[in-house]
Amino acid sequence: MNVLKVRWWTIGIFVLPCLLLYIMMVFVPIVVSGYNSLMLWDGIGPNKTFIGLENYRNILFNDPYFWPAVKRTLMYAVFSMLEIPVTLLFAILINRYVRRGNTLVSIYFMPVILSVVIIGQLWKTIYNPLDMGGMINGILNSIGMEEHMTAWLSSPKFAMYSLYIVSLWQYFGYHLLIQYTGVQNIPTDIYEAAKIDGADGFKADRYITLPLIVPVFKISIVLAFIGSLQAFDLIMVMTGGGPAHATDVISTLMYNSTFQEYKYGYGSALAMTLVIICLVFTVLINSVFKRVENKVS
Amino acid sequence: MESIKKGVVYLLLAVLVVTQLYPLLWLILYSFKTNEEILSGSFFALPQNPRFANYTEAYEAGNYLQYLFNSVFVTVITMVVVIILASMTAYAISRFRWKLAPVALLVFLLGLMIPMQATLLPLMTMFSKIDILNTRWSLILPYIAFQTPVAIFIMSGFMKGIPHEIEESAFMDGASVYRIFRSIIMPISVPPIMTVCILTFINIWNEYILAATFISSERFKTLPFGVNSFVSQYAVNYGNIGAFLVMGAIPVILIYFILSERITKGMVAGAVKG
Amino acid sequence: MEKQIRKSEKNESANRRPLKKTALILTAGVLAVGLAACGSSNSNGGNESANNSSATNTGGTSGGDSGKKVTITFQNIYPDATSPANKMMKELVAQYEKENPNIKIELDSLNTDQQKLKLKTQAASKEVPDITIVNPAAQMKPFVDAGLLAPLNDMLDQNGLKDTFQKGLLDYYSFNNNVYALPDGNNIEVVYYNKDLFAQAGITDVPKTFDEMLEDVKALKAKGITPIAIGEKDTWTGSFLFMNILLRTNGGPGFLQDVLDGKKDFNDPAFTEATDAFQELVQAGAFPEGATSIDANAGGNIFKTGKAAMFIIGSWETGNIDASSVAGKVGAFSFPTVNGKGDVNQFMLAPGSGFAVSANSKHLQETKDFLNFFMTNYPKKQFELKNAVGSGQIIEGDFKAAGYSDLAINILDMFKQVTGGDLAFDNTMKPAVAQAHLSSIQNLFVQKVESKQAAKEHQDAFAANK
Repeated sequence: MNVLKVRWWTIGIFVLPCLLLYIMMVFVPIVVSGYNSLMLWDGIGPNKTFIGLENYRNILFNDPYFWPAVKRTLMYAVFSMLEIPVTLLFAILINRYVRRGNTLVSIYFMPVILSVVIIGQLWKTIYNPLDMGGMINGILNSIGMEEHMTAWLSSPKFAMYSLYIVSLWQYFGYHLLIQYTGVQNIPTDIYEAAKIDGADGFKADRYITLPLIVPVFKISIVLAFIGSLQAFDLIMVMTGGGPAHATDVISTLMYNSTFQEYKYGYGSALAMTLVIICLVFTVLINSVFKRVENKVS
Repeated sequence: MESIKKGVVYLLLAVLVVTQLYPLLWLILYSFKTNEEILSGSFFALPQNPRFANYTEAYEAGNYLQYLFNSVFVTVITMVVVIILASMTAYAISRFRWKLAPVALLVFLLGLMIPMQATLLPLMTMFSKIDILNTRWSLILPYIAFQTPVAIFIMSGFMKGIPHEIEESAFMDGASVYRIFRSIIMPISVPPIMTVCILTFINIWNEYILAATFISSERFKTLPFGVNSFVSQYAVNYGNIGAFLVMGAIPVILIYFILSERITKGMVAGAVKG
Repeated sequence: MEKQIRKSEKNESANRRPLKKTALILTAGVLAVGLAACGSSNSNGGNESANNSSATNTGGTSGGDSGKKVTITFQNIYPDATSPANKMMKELVAQYEKENPNIKIELDSLNTDQQKLKLKTQAASKEVPDITIVNPAAQMKPFVDAGLLAPLNDMLDQNGLKDTFQKGLLDYYSFNNNVYALPDGNNIEVVYYNKDLFAQAGITDVPKTFDEMLEDVKALKAKGITPIAIGEKDTWTGSFLFMNILLRTNGGPGFLQDVLDGKKDFNDPAFTEATDAFQELVQAGAFPEGATSIDANAGGNIFKTGKAAMFIIGSWETGNIDASSVAGKVGAFSFPTVNGKGDVNQFMLAPGSGFAVSANSKHLQETKDFLNFFMTNYPKKQFELKNAVGSGQIIEGDFKAAGYSDLAINILDMFKQVTGGDLAFDNTMKPAVAQAHLSSIQNLFVQKVESKQAAKEHQDAFAANK
C-alpha cells in the first residue's frame, strides 16, 4: 500500500532522471530496432526498403533454423527454472546444518563472478575428446566404458545438453544465494513458535518456509527465465552455435543474421521476437505466481 | 539416523565446494603454463616449470594498469549512479500514491528483457549524433540504463516492506520527503543497495561488446580489451590470457568477499515481506 | 507475523551503520576522482599546443600539414603485443610520429571478430575510422557500394607505391577502376606436413593424388597420429580446404564465378564430386575428433605441437610454424589432384586483409600520406622481422642469407609456380550465401550427408539471396 501523497512534481523529481536516461538508452534503441525490423537492409548502405512484416513472416514460416532455436531456448529456460527448487533445497539444508552458511554460499557463488572466457576454456577441457585430455572421456575410458566416449561439444545430439549443464553449474550459486537469503530472512521466532505447536524439521519447512519463500522463489524464476532466453556469450565461446546450427538459440541466430549475413532488418526482427517471447512468458509466470500466492495466503 | 543424514549433507556440500571452487585453482595453474602445456589440455596437470613470464608479459602488453583504472572508473561511477537513480525511482514507485506507479514499474521491468546486442547499432548512431563516441560516457550511460531495471526490481521490493510508521512520525516532525528519503529510507536500504552493487559490478566488469564497439582510444579501454588483445589473427597467447584473467579477476573476488556478507542478507530482504 | 519480520530487519540495518558510513565516504572519494578524470579525458588540453610549436619548427614531411595537431585513428587486427605484426605496426607508427610531430596515430587494436562487428556497426552510422581493415572482393563490396571507403588511386602513385605490389593483386581490392584497400599480404593454401610423423607411418613420399592422400591418412590413423589438423569451430577453415578440392574437381578455377554468372549451379557434378571427396576424408578419420568445437588457432596448434601430421592452410602460418616446437621438421606441398582432375600449380589464393581509408575522414590527406608511408616501408619491416613469406609486395632481398628457414624458402618457391587459382568462398559470394555454405560444410564434419543434399542447400541459399 503506497502511503505518501505528494505533489506531482515531487514524483517527477524522483522518477524522471532515471526514466529519461532509461528511455534514451534502452527504449529508443529498441523502438529503432522495431522500425528496422520492417526493413530490408544490410546495415551498411543507404538502401533501406520497407517490406512491412515480411521479415517476421520469413522468421515464422521460412527459416529452417528458427523453430529449433526456439525449442532450444525454451529448453534452456526450463532447465534453468528446474534448478531453482534444487537450490532451495540446498538453501534449507545449509541453513539447518551449517553454522557459517554465508561463507559457503559465497564460495558457491564464485563461478558467477568469473569471466565467461574462463568458464568456456575450463569446460572445454572437461568435454574434450580423449586425445585432447578431456576429463569425462578420460573417466569413461578408465572405467571401461569406451563405447560411450564422444566429442561432447561436436555431437549434434549432445552438444546442447553439454551447454545446459555448464549453465546450470555456473548459475547454481547465483540462485542458491537468492534462496538462501530468502530462507535466512524468515525470522527464527516463527520456527520456535511452530516448534511449540509440534511442527519441526521438514514439517516446519512445509508449513512455514515454503509459503514464505514464494516471492523469493518468483524472483529467481523470473531472473532464470530471462537470463536463459538471452544466453549468448557462453554458447559463442564454446560452440559458436555449431556444429551446423545444432546449438543455435534465438540470440545467436540474431547475431549471425545481423553481423555475419549482413541482414540487419532480419536480425532486428529476431530481436523483437525474442523480446516478445520474453514478455509473454514473464506475464505468464507472474500470473501463475499470483494464483499460487493467493492460495498460500 | 540424524548423524547419517548430517554426514550425507556435509559430503554433498563438500563436493559442491570442490566443483564450484575448482575453476579458480584451474585458472591459476593455467596462468603459469606454456602454450604447449595448455594445448595438450590435460585437466589436472600442474605446470612443469611455472612460467612467470606470462604475468610480466600480460602486465606489459596488456596495458594492465591503464585498463584497470578505466574499468574501476567506469564501474564505480555506474554503480553509484545506478544506486542513486534506482533507489529514488524505487522509492517513488513503492511509497508514493500515484496512479501510474505500477505502469512505471512495468516499463522498467521491460528493460530486463531487451537483449543488449539489439541496441548496439541504434546507440552507435545516437552517440555519434551527440558526439560522445569514444568517451567514457558512451559506456557509462548505457551501463547505467541497462542496470537500473534489476536494481529497481530489487529495491522497490525491499522498500515496500519498510513500515509506514517511520515516515509518518518523521512527517509529523516536519521533515520533507527529500529529507526522509535521504536520512531514513537510504540508510535502511543498505542491504539491497549492497546486492545491487554486486550485481551491477558483475555485469559490467566483464562487459566487452559495447566497450569494444564504442571505445577506440587506448586511454579509455577496459580490462576485457586486455584479455582479447592476446588473440591475434592467427595465434592465441593462452598463457598470457590466463595471467591477465587472474589479474582481472583479483579485484572482482576482493570486492565480492568484502560485500558478500552484506548481500546474502540484502538480496531479497524486501521480497519476503511482499 | 509481518510485524515481527520487519522488526528483525530494522535491527539488522541498525547494526550496519558503520559500514554504510565507510561506503558513503568511499563513494564520495571515488566520485571526486572520477569527475576530475572525466573532465580531463575529453580534451587533450595543454599538450596539443605545446606540440604545435615543435611541429612548425621541425617541419613535417607530409602534405596537408597545416601545423594543427591531427589525430588519425588506425583500426587494426594486430592486438597481440608479442606478435611480429604488432611490433612492425608500432615501430612504423612511432617512426612516422617522430618524423611528423603534428600527427598522432591512435591505434585501435582488436581481434578479428570484434573488428568485423565494430566496423559493421560503425558503417551504419558512417563513423568508419580513418584507417580500417576490410577483406577482399565480395566481403568489402558492401562498404564500397555504400560509399564509405575513399579511392586510393592518387595516393598509390606517390613514391611509386603502386609498383611495389605484386601484379594483379590490387584487382581484388578494386571496383570501377578504383583501388579501395591495400593488402597486408598475399597467401596461397598449401599442405604443411610433419616429416617425422610421415616417417613414423612409413610414408616415403608426399601424396600426388587424392587417393594417395587417403592412403596416407589411413596409415597415419593406424599409428594413432591425427592425420590433418583443423579447428572447425571457425567455419572458414573447413571451407578453405573444401574449396581446394573443388578447385581440383572443377578442373581449374572459376566454379563460383560461373555460378554467379549463371553458367553453372551448385548441382554441377564438380561440386558433388568435391563434396564426396571431402566426406571420404572425414570418413577416413582424417580430422581430429571434436573438430567443430576447436578454434582455428587451437586447431593449428595440434599440428604445431607435433600431434598432427598435416595442416592444410594458408601460407601465412609459415612464420608461426617456424616459431613452434615442430620447426625444422616441416615441409610443404601443393594439394594433390582429385580423381585425376586439376592442376597442382593452381592454388587457393588468399589475398590478405586490406587497409582502407574512410571516405568521411576528417583528415583524408594526412591519413593517405600516413598509409602511403606505412605501406612503402611495410615490406622492408616484414622482411627484417622474418615475416615476409606471403607478402603482397615485391621484396628485394635474399631470404636465405637473411636467415629464413628451409620451409620458408620452400613456400617461396611454391609461390613462383602459381599459375592461377580461386578465392575463398566468402570472398566470392554474398555474406548470406557464404554463411549457408560455411554451416553446410561444418555439418559434413559431424554427419554423413548425401552430396546432392549439400548441393541443394547451397543452391537454395544462392537462389534465396540473389
